[in-house]
Amino acid sequence: MGVTLRYPFVSIEAPPEYRGVPHIDPELCIGCGACVNACPPDALMRIDDLKNGTREIVLDIGRCIRCARCEEVCPTGAVKMTGRFEVASLDRRDHVEVVRLRLVRCEACGEYTDYTERQVVKALQILPEEEYDAEEIKAYSRICRRCRRKLSALGAIEASRRFAP
Amino acid sequence: MIEGADEKHVREVCERFGERIKRVERIAQNQWLLLVDKNDVREVVSYVINRKDWGETQLSTMVGTDERPIRGRFSIIYWLSLNGGEGDVFIGVKAYLREEDLSYPSVTPEHPGASWYEREVHDLLGIEPEDHPDLRRLVLPDDWPYGVYPLRKDFDYTDSPRREFTEEDKYPYRKPPEGTVVHPLGPYHVALDEPGHFRLFVRGEEIVDVDYRLFYQHRGIEKIAERRLTYDQVNFIAERICGICGSSHAVAYAQAIETAGGIEVPERAAYIRTVMLEIERLHSHILNLGLACHDAGFDTAFMHAFRIREPVMWLAERLTGNRKTYGMVLVGGARRDFLDYRKGLIEKTLKRLKEEFREWVDSTLSTGTFVKRCEGVGVLSYRDAKRWSSVGPWARASGRNIDVRRDHPYAAYRDLDFKVPVYREGDVLARCMVRAEEVFESIWIIEQALDQMPGGDILADYREIPARKEALGYVEAPRGEDVHYVMTGDENTLYRWRVRASTYNNFPSLPDALRGNTIADAPLIIASMDPCYSCTERLQVVDVNTGRVTVVKEEELVRGCCRWE
Amino acid sequence: MALWEIIVPVSLVLTIAPILDGMGRKVKAKVQMRQGPPILQTWYDLTSLLSMEPILPTDGLSFRLAPYVALASAVAAATVLPYGGLSPLRFSGDFFVFLYVVAMVSIAYIVAGFSLPNTYTNAGANREMMMVLSIEPVLGVAIGILAINSHSLCLSYMPLHLHASPSIFLAIGLLAYAVYVEGGFVPFDAAEAETEILEGTLCEYSGRLLGVFKWALMVKRFVLLWLLGSFIVLPLTKGFPGWAVFLLQLTAVLAIYFAVVTVEAHNARLRIDQAIRMNTKVFLASLVVLLIASLGW
Repeated sequence: MGVTLRYPFVSIEAPPEYRGVPHIDPELCIGCGACVNACPPDALMRIDDLKNGTREIVLDIGRCIRCARCEEVCPTGAVKMTGRFEVASLDRRDHVEVVRLRLVRCEACGEYTDYTERQVVKALQILPEEEYDAEEIKAYSRICRRCRRKLSALGAIEASRRFAP
Repeated sequence: MIEGADEKHVREVCERFGERIKRVERIAQNQWLLLVDKNDVREVVSYVINRKDWGETQLSTMVGTDERPIRGRFSIIYWLSLNGGEGDVFIGVKAYLREEDLSYPSVTPEHPGASWYEREVHDLLGIEPEDHPDLRRLVLPDDWPYGVYPLRKDFDYTDSPRREFTEEDKYPYRKPPEGTVVHPLGPYHVALDEPGHFRLFVRGEEIVDVDYRLFYQHRGIEKIAERRLTYDQVNFIAERICGICGSSHAVAYAQAIETAGGIEVPERAAYIRTVMLEIERLHSHILNLGLACHDAGFDTAFMHAFRIREPVMWLAERLTGNRKTYGMVLVGGARRDFLDYRKGLIEKTLKRLKEEFREWVDSTLSTGTFVKRCEGVGVLSYRDAKRWSSVGPWARASGRNIDVRRDHPYAAYRDLDFKVPVYREGDVLARCMVRAEEVFESIWIIEQALDQMPGGDILADYREIPARKEALGYVEAPRGEDVHYVMTGDENTLYRWRVRASTYNNFPSLPDALRGNTIADAPLIIASMDPCYSCTERLQVVDVNTGRVTVVKEEELVRGCCRWE
Repeated sequence: MALWEIIVPVSLVLTIAPILDGMGRKVKAKVQMRQGPPILQTWYDLTSLLSMEPILPTDGLSFRLAPYVALASAVAAATVLPYGGLSPLRFSGDFFVFLYVVAMVSIAYIVAGFSLPNTYTNAGANREMMMVLSIEPVLGVAIGILAINSHSLCLSYMPLHLHASPSIFLAIGLLAYAVYVEGGFVPFDAAEAETEILEGTLCEYSGRLLGVFKWALMVKRFVLLWLLGSFIVLPLTKGFPGWAVFLLQLTAVLAIYFAVVTVEAHNARLRIDQAIRMNTKVFLASLVVLLIASLGW
């Protein structure tokens, strides 16, 4: 009545509560980087390529400590812990998962902004409609920070002109 | 009376030293900070430690901090605790040191337990304790340049200074006494779970004296936490200080931050933490008992100990998601709740464990050859245990009646009932007995905690913790008192984090226990302390480029390999 | 005497000894509720060790020769024992030769241990020396009593000519104890204590030399067990055909070995001073038994 199992010749299933290797669902990820900020060992990275307008969320399982903080903070439920624990591989690259997303191109100046298309969609979705003018925000959302600042400055000047000509 | 000295013991200290105590500050419910001149530190500390009528006084930790960016000075704090029913009191004796003159009278001649602490601040901050009997390097490796102090704030955590290593830089081990030879034990030895180098000076098989070199396992934990992690991230790195008592470290750290920030932990979270801490004690103690058997050549008991320990690990896995690194603790509470079905799981596992462990203890203790190997071996006298400020089962087996859970209740321990086993023999057998009894106590504690577990939230919210707050967090880890000191910084980061693992206070007393025994007993005695090397040796400089953590030694290694080719 | 009469038993002993060890490991695993390695594992280990080039820590000849001397001695001890109806080498007085060559295995171990400036091998050699000095007398006295009883000094003749008396049973008991201790079973394995002194002398050995040394120690164990088994089986099987006696001997050795392993699994290792004290007590008791035997009881 040995208690030793013939692992790896028999498969072992982790219990349902097990925190295994995390996985990012590329369909759901909006590239907000909440997981990147929460990750203690920097297993998650956010790399923006402003020239080509892409953002990469890079998950490196080799660095991951399976704390599941990313799963906790993810606003869309894109990061999920799996029950997987066998990750040995001869290739270091097998440990890396990359989600590539498009950045928003500013409609005013044509430069790329530092947020993704999907972030805009998500932000508009969770907007409480009754409080804001959705149309205006939608228009603003496709403009980069710098241009937005410029626009509001111009708007303020315009407004002040109207009241004090 | 000095303002702030609103507790009996603190008042007595203040009355005794009068004007020499410059300021008293109550930084938490049970923590007082006394500011003194650096020349008075030795006297005040040894006064508190040596007060016979205050029971089990203890040097709990000592912290050196580079406070130059804030106050333009360095500071040292000796944290003393009163234990054993005397009251729930921590007294910090703090003094400032000017950069021009970093020397101050060492406490070690009065209380040897301060030795390691002072060697450490000497290594890492360049503070000079005068009349210290042994200021050899403790923490830094032999090839670390002189005059570079990694814990100073002007030392960046990405620096990795190097120096050509010469013959003369070899660690100055003590010369073997007349008529003895050196029997090296470690850094790699079957009976040592982690690297540590002991030089046993032996005559025949008898150990005459011992010298040691540790801290092979330095990682950049304290420094890295002080510079680039937020409070919540540190929890996870704190948990990884130790391979066994990780949860203790995480809880101690979280409690320190909670005390500093005045965060109320929900009651349910406190109970969950308690259960996890006790589960950790269960598997740690059973592991250690098994290893003691292994070192005595009793492999069957070793195998069975691990067999009955395994369900505890599975239980932890079901409760938290992992068998060892639970990741249950965040500042402000716990992350996962115990749902009802898990409660049943715990009860079932404990019931089985209780039976199996009782059987195991009975059969092991009725094995004559094993008891023969443990009895009267590696005796640590009460005097030595006290003199080195020993903690945990190692101290309790030598008659020290201390237990943080009872003396300074934290988490839910105030509401729970348990015994603290104390033995006077001080030998390996007594340590095994203490651990075995504590296993049963832990089971009892978990059973009560499950019964009384209140409902409600498990995580308190917090926004910003004010900067420059100091506090202690403490936990009775399986190996003894585990103390974390924090000083908060700006923007939810730490200014200073000092981890003092249990083994840190026990290790220096090891030579006293080894002397007079034979080399056959050395591994058993070392194992009976349940040493945890990586706990003790938290700190080293790491190379952090884009977050990558590489140990400094890597290049050395490559160079060494090339030479070999 | 034909050559095969020596070659067959010797190759038998060399083959069975590692298999016996493998069986012991399996039994121990069962006691510890493990699966344990396959029974041939010790053989696999041995063959892979024998195919490996050793790394030599010294140029000393004694270090390199010791494993071969040990193996040769252990095999020599095997040749004077009876195997069924066959006794490869039998002559009056082979009982002394047996004691000598069994001791030679230990002496090779000791010489090898002292040939290096290593405190671990020295400690191993030192312990082995103390152990041999304290147990060889017991072995000698035990066989001596049997010799007195059977009026013979020949190991293959002795068991067949014993006549029952109280001292004989005591002598067999002493022999069993001596075999157990001499075989280096837990709790008497201080000389090869792995967790204390990293297997003593063996810790500097590697590759082929280690393989040969381990083989020698296994053969020695087997020879000792065979001796004990023969003294139990042969007196009871007078008149049986040779092959039946041999099979019974083998069964007895297996039974004894399993018992030994079970005892081994339920004990911790004694410190060398504790083991010596115990051996000394047994030796004193053996002298009393010798006295009884010489009185003819």
